[in-house]
Order: sequence, then C-alpha cells, then structure tokens
Amino acid sequence: MSSQSVSAVFKLVKAPIYSHCFSQDKSLLAVTCKNDCLIYRFTNGSPQLVATLSNHDKTVTAVDISIHGRIVTCSQDRNAYVWEPLSDGTYKPTLVLLRINRAATCVSWAPSGYKFAVGSSARIIAVCYYEQENNWWVSKHIKKPIKSTVGCLSWHSNGVLLASGGTDGYMRIFSGFVKGLDSKDAVAGSPWGDKFPFGALVREFYHGSYIEDVEWRSSIESIGYVSHEGTLNVVDANNNHSQVNAPDGLPFNTLLWINDHEILCAGFSNHPVLFAEATGGWQFAKDLDKPASTDLSAHNTGNNNNNEDLDESEDVSATFGISALRKFKQLDLKGKVSTDVNETAHENTITQLLPYQETNGQVTQASACGLDGKVVIYNI
Amino acid sequence: MSDWRRIDIDAFDPESGRLTSKDIEPPYPSQVTLQELSTKISQLRSLASSGDAKSAVALAVSDPPYSGDESTKNEYFKVVLETLSNVRQADISGIVSGLTPIQQDVLVKYLYKGMSIPEGQKQGGILLAWFERVTQVAGVRPVSHFINDRNTV
Repeated sequence: MSSQSVSAVFKLVKAPIYSHCFSQDKSLLAVTCKNDCLIYRFTNGSPQLVATLSNHDKTVTAVDISIHGRIVTCSQDRNAYVWEPLSDGTYKPTLVLLRINRAATCVSWAPSGYKFAVGSSARIIAVCYYEQENNWWVSKHIKKPIKSTVGCLSWHSNGVLLASGGTDGYMRIFSGFVKGLDSKDAVAGSPWGDKFPFGALVREFYHGSYIEDVEWRSSIESIGYVSHEGTLNVVDANNNHSQVNAPDGLPFNTLLWINDHEILCAGFSNHPVLFAEATGGWQFAKDLDKPASTDLSAHNTGNNNNNEDLDESEDVSATFGISALRKFKQLDLKGKVSTDVNETAHENTITQLLPYQETNGQVTQASACGLDGKVVIYNI
Repeated sequence: MSDWRRIDIDAFDPESGRLTSKDIEPPYPSQVTLQELSTKISQLRSLASSGDAKSAVALAVSDPPYSGDESTKNEYFKVVLETLSNVRQADISGIVSGLTPIQQDVLVKYLYKGMSIPEGQKQGGILLAWFERVTQVAGVRPVSHFINDRNTV
C-alpha cells in the first residue's frame, strides 16, 4: 500500500460493493451494500455513516447521484427509488415504477439531472423523468431491438444519446430524447444522425461477448467499452473500431476516460490498467498499483521473456516440473508471514471506476469500488 | 404452487421475445461452403506433405470458416487436426510463439473443439501438448477469448 498510485483506501463494509458514487463536492459517498444503500459523510478525510437507505427488499445493484444531489438506487426487486436530500440530513424516498418484470441492473442520471435511465434483465431500458402535474416519476421504455440483459449505460453530454451494452453482445446507441426536457439544439449537427425521436436506435456495434461497461467521450464523439473476453474497444461515429487486449487476459468490469487519448480499465486483476492511444491504435500503457514482484508474476514474465528457450522441449518440461515444485513450496507458506507478499489495494475484483478529481478535462484521481467492500482512490 | 419459482413466466407473455440460439449467432454477411474451402484444404495438405509445419499451422488457424454450417466446420476441423498432429513435439513451442495473438486464439478454439468430439479425443495427448504450449506463451487470454467468443469453429 506504499504504492504511489494509491491515494486512499476506505474499508467500508463486509460485503461486495457493486456500485458507488460521490456527490458533486465529494463530501458524501453512497455505496450499495446488500439490500441497502449506505451514505457516508467525509469529515477530515474519514468516512462516517450518516444514513442507510433501506427501502429495497432485494440486492441493490446500482446507485447514482445527480448534479443536484438527488440519489437514485435500483435493485433486483425491480424498483428504483429517488432519494431527495432533506435539510435535516435524512432522505425522502419516492418509488419509481419501472414496469419491468426482471431485475434492474444499472442506473445513470443524465448530465442535466432531470432524468435517468435504468437498464434491466427484462431487455428494457427505462428512461424516467419527473412529471410536475402528477407529482410522479414517469418511466418510458426502450425495447427494440434489445435481445438480452442490459448491463451498462452511459449518457452523452448532450443528454440525448444513450449508449448501452449487455449480454446479447451488442453495443447500442439509443435516443433518450424527452419532449419538454431536452431541446433539439443539443443534438444539432451531431455526427450520429439528424433525427432523434425517443427510443430510436441510432447505431449498433456487434461485439460478440458480454459488454461489461460502456462510456461516452463526448468531446471527441467516441465511445469506449470493455467486454468479458478482456478487451477494451473504442468506436466512433465513422464506425472506426480499435481493440486492445488486457495485458493479463482477465476480463474488465469497468472503464473510465482519463482524457481524449487515455482510458483506465479495471476488473478481475484487482488493479487498474491504463491504455493510451498511439499512432497505431490503442495500446497498453501501464499498470497502476500492481504488486512489484510476487513469485507468480516473476515466473510469468520469465516465461514471456525467454520464448527462445521454449524451443527445446526438454527445457520446457524441466522448468515446468520446477515451477510445480515451487508452487507447492508457496502453498506451504500460506498463512505464514512472507516478505514477498505485496498486495494490491483492492483485494478482489474491481466493479466500478469513477472520476474523483478533474482538471481541464483530465482526470487526475479516480475512485474504485470492489467486491472486497473497499473504496479506493487512485492517482493517475 | 410450491414450485412457483420454476414457472416459465415468459411462456405466458407472447411478446416476451425470448432469446433463442439464433439470436446470439453473429450476423454473418454470407455463409462459407465446403467448396470455397477446398483450395485452402488442398493447400494445407501440400504444405503438410512438404514438411513445412510452421506455414501449415499458421494457414490452418487463419481466417477459419466461422460462418459455415456444422458439417463444413467438422470437415475443416479434420484437416486442422491432421495438420496439428503432423507436427513434432519439439517444434510446437516455436510454432506457437510465431503465431499472431489472433491466430493463437483460433488455435485454442480448435483445441477445445477437438477435446469435445470423439475424433479429437483420440488425439487427446497431442491436443493437450499444444494447449500446454499455447498457455505458456499467451497466458489465459486465448482461453477467455474462446469462452466468450460467439464465433465458433
């Protein structure tokens, strides 16, 4: 944990955190924990539990905080709640009827903070907005041509284009245009099309494996997405497609644009990985918070560097035998203090990356939550 | 009604649009036939008989007939298996390191396919030797690509 790339580690709960979100001024942190959403207030850099939002009766899958401080949570109980902060520090819940018959999987406020989108296993994206005259959150459905669970959503900064990905292997862009909320000026001159009626399929990209996360980079009209086969993909309005593999082959769960030419990804390898755009397309740049040299990784890199040695088959079987022996010796060490144990800040899969601090369109710090019940702040 | 969790609720909803195996097939522009593959197959055979195992393997795992039907894929697999089993054990590592990452991914797909059908299982030892070398060179990447890719061989 002496690593320079880790700024802070908060061990919050003894359960997986699927989703987290900081408020605009970073004073509040919301995390999902089992059937609840927990709200922490930061005083002098240490988190203190100030509220428990406990209206859901199944696992809460996602949480998001709008620019106005409204919290939205969605859950496997097929409902979403909007939590209005009150002056005494409590929250007033409003049930949003999503009209879906399967779990809600992800939720995202539009940049304006006046509507949000919920993805679900019912092959539906519900776009919800508040109707003053009825004092009610209305939910409108995007159905076609989604064929399977929607697992991730991202709004364009214009608040109209909505990118989604899921288990049917397609990354799709829909229009989430709501009359009375959005103006046509927001999408005037968009390279993605001319007309954006609500629910229209703007573009779709076939990928083939589960799409785990998707994120717009509105300034360059590009979309990044990560898939379960361990790849990062970047597409744009001209259908250019760039793909790069995870350095260790493990799948990514989440991505975050750092600037127009850098993306941070994280997932099953427990530490974030930075990719950068070079002349030949996107490439691996560096690992953040990677253990310097555990025996296992040293062994792996040894293998990669000595490909020439592998030509001799006797050699290979010899090193293979030794590595097996070494493995047993390592197992023998389990539970004992060993000097070369150098762990990552996250001890389990990372589930979500979000920007924590930004200057001039460049993310300088990112926050991450994971299955180990921690929230970690990384320096980029 | 104690078994209510097992009720197929989609069956009561005619508009459920449930996912079928056809839905997860990649959208291919056209279907490749065995005739179109015949030149490649004879090319593979001549490379193998001339002893150029390296080029033979590289060709075998390039541009596989993803869009073909089951029988086309099986015919092509037999040729791939022939090519792989003609390689001497000592040469495998060198050949695998000479492949591009995409070719390594395809190779692993054929190894898994081989282990799933009787023709391949008879050559199981050879397939496992290849598998061991590929994972030594490329790590788990080709395996996770195989598991997730809907382009099957």
